[in-house]
Amino acid sequence: MSIFGEPMAPRYLLWLIQGFGVTVGLSIAVCVAATGFGVSVCGMRMSRYAPLRAAAAAYISAIRNTPLLVQLFFWYFGAAALLPQGLVGWLNTPHTLDLGPGRLSWPAFETLAGFFGLTLYAGAYIAEEFRAGINGVDNGQYETARSLGMRPRLIYWLVVLPQALRIAWLPVVGQYLNTIKNTSLTMAIGLAELSYASRQVETETFLTFQAFGIATVLYLVAVIVTEAAGLAVARSGRFAWANKRS
Amino acid sequence: MNISVIFDNLDYLLLGAWPNGPIGGLALTVIISALSAVASALLGLVFGIALALSRGGARSLLVVVLGFFRAIPVIMLIFWSYFLLPMLFGISVPEIGTVVVALSLISGAYLSYSVAAGINGIDMGQWEAGYALGLRRYQLLRLVVLPQALRVMAPSFVNQWTTLIKDTSLAYVIGVPELSFVATQVNNRVMVYPMEIFLFIGALYWVLCASFDKLAGRLARKR
Repeated sequence: MSIFGEPMAPRYLLWLIQGFGVTVGLSIAVCVAATGFGVSVCGMRMSRYAPLRAAAAAYISAIRNTPLLVQLFFWYFGAAALLPQGLVGWLNTPHTLDLGPGRLSWPAFETLAGFFGLTLYAGAYIAEEFRAGINGVDNGQYETARSLGMRPRLIYWLVVLPQALRIAWLPVVGQYLNTIKNTSLTMAIGLAELSYASRQVETETFLTFQAFGIATVLYLVAVIVTEAAGLAVARSGRFAWANKRS
Repeated sequence: MNISVIFDNLDYLLLGAWPNGPIGGLALTVIISALSAVASALLGLVFGIALALSRGGARSLLVVVLGFFRAIPVIMLIFWSYFLLPMLFGISVPEIGTVVVALSLISGAYLSYSVAAGINGIDMGQWEAGYALGLRRYQLLRLVVLPQALRVMAPSFVNQWTTLIKDTSLAYVIGVPELSFVATQVNNRVMVYPMEIFLFIGALYWVLCASFDKLAGRLARKR
């Protein structure tokens, strides 16, 4: 028998595919939420009010200089102490929402903690990428628009932000790729995503090569597809216009 | 807030079971970080030089291999080395070795690109002047190009090492008793003060990483 062992039974394959589904779903949810959150943190970080700037800077420093794993442990184990007792109890019990044709069930506590922790983490990095994008827009652009008589607020919306977004886009896609990889850390708080599933399958079947191999390939697929999509957007219509000039 | 839980377990969080058992906690985090930092710098230099100077098929192969290490999660690579290293070498490898190998490979892959960028950033005139003086390629690299390129690369090395310190926490998944692992042990034993425990070790990591971050900023400005 080769080192690959016998072919894996379908039900273990199903575990891996389900784990991959959780990884993809969690990644998408975190990327969407972290982008919105990152924009607001960036706004605070660049605000004209010093206390807001200081708060955003402290937050970014705390997130970026501590391991994500420790942050996840903090939210997972420590949230119970932070939140009111009643709410923790409510979050820990299953809830379902009837939506006509289907039913939506409230996610388990580890899913919530994982989503929350990953969003706060990615948001801090995305905020800094947006800030770099805004700082990357040449000052002459602002001055030219000002000399044309445009108001500062309008200049921000029509001149600075569209260019900043193009500069920040690929770095932000890089943060999306990191988010896909970082979802693997939620296995430590018991979320049954792809890494968790691969280890479960490995423990049950001893088909180590297949279990880790399939999981690795699935991660590669997710990362490569996301990166290709990010590059495609960067080269498409409105985006390419700016890239040709820079 | 209950601070006494920290003081009661301070020795264990900082040193693990040492001196009565294997060293752990913060001390082990520092040891793993230092070993991986050195190994990743060496790997980054070797593969970065190869990336900058190779052409054609060899370069494509290198790009694919480095891309692989950059694309997969650190946890998956720790699983792979945990399983593959004993098979390749036919001996049991201590868990710490497993983690150092995995972290060095990933950090080395990231650093390779910084090194290659640093080398490519050196003006072609430097190479041409060196050749005109009769230097060989290897001499030129060692005496002219690398000393200049390393100064440019220094901030990215320090940044990568900050990431490395944070990633040592992933040794948790194979039960290495570094800072994050001993913290969960203490948390599981005490049960009622998770906030205090994880805030405290978060602060320890913060001091380590933020000082490296400051250093990177200073190096970048000095350039």
